[in-house]
Amino acid sequence: MNRFDLLNKLQNIFKDNLVICNIGLPSQELYKINDQPNFFYMLGSMGLSSSIGLGLSLSQNKHVISIDGDGSVLMNMNTLATIGNRAPSNYTLLIIDNGSYGSTGDQRTFTDEDTSLKAVAIGAGCKNVVECSGEETANELSKAIDDQDHSYVIISKINSGNVKIDPIPLNPITIRDRFRKFIGIVKYL
Amino acid sequence: MKISKKIIANLKEGGVDFYLSVPCKLLANMIDILEKDKDVYYSSVPREEEGMGICAGAYLGNKFPCIMMQNTGIGNSVNAIVSLLQLYQMPVVFLVSYRGTPGEPVGAQGGMAKITEDILQTLRIPMLHCSSENDLEKISTFSKHAKVIESPVAILCDFNLMKED
Repeated sequence: MNRFDLLNKLQNIFKDNLVICNIGLPSQELYKINDQPNFFYMLGSMGLSSSIGLGLSLSQNKHVISIDGDGSVLMNMNTLATIGNRAPSNYTLLIIDNGSYGSTGDQRTFTDEDTSLKAVAIGAGCKNVVECSGEETANELSKAIDDQDHSYVIISKINSGNVKIDPIPLNPITIRDRFRKFIGIVKYL
Repeated sequence: MKISKKIIANLKEGGVDFYLSVPCKLLANMIDILEKDKDVYYSSVPREEEGMGICAGAYLGNKFPCIMMQNTGIGNSVNAIVSLLQLYQMPVVFLVSYRGTPGEPVGAQGGMAKITEDILQTLRIPMLHCSSENDLEKISTFSKHAKVIESPVAILCDFNLMKED
């Protein structure tokens, strides 16, 4: 299973939640599979999907899923400590760990060598850290969302590999405003 | 404590209700005030760039965020400011302790001080430079302005203004 297959399988779980999606191919694949207003596509700022989702979960009550990648988490690892100490129960960090920098040509990341993001997350203070296969991810993600009392970090170990795809044609303000309309903040659209 | 109280009161008057900081000794009193304030959210964060991301999420969730940091933190955050906050036009207040300005005892802080305003100008970020107590009255209007123009703005607080607080 690769990222495209996994994102496809998770659509039913995404539909009632707020989804922050990592820059590059993850967002482009999610857009191609099933574009929705509750998806916030990152067009820049690699590494910050986990942080954006954390700020959003601290600011309103809907459940937030931050879709991140192993390369991006490695870039902003300090935020695992913030998540470990501050994440509310309406927050789930889903790390799609394919051991490679998918958007830049599948160069290996350190998770394909000796780094365990599970061990890092636990060491950073995250309490409910689950490492699972791509096939098990839907079930683990559903359980995390259903648990009203705890936040989760799910590390989904999948194969590398990408689908050939175009950039997202939406402009950033459209992404922003329709996302905030879904939450109920923007009234003018 | 008087200066710090005034700054926080003016930020709150301007609508700011979500605060992060990467601590600085010049921000210590403000952090004390915010930790005891039940009306607003406050947390420290390990790094400024990450704080920009958390502020972006807070804005999406209808908060008006402020990140408190040294001017060195602007340098750590340039891509997040341009490719996230400015790209999506998100109002965030940067409350900056302006290390390396006159009164500063640590010479090494001078390097970032020399280029801080140039960086902010290059980024087209509106600045409010506070050198005296009277300047603090402008903070609430300046913060509201960030929401009107949907842009990050920076408030620079000089070393000598903060040091005796």
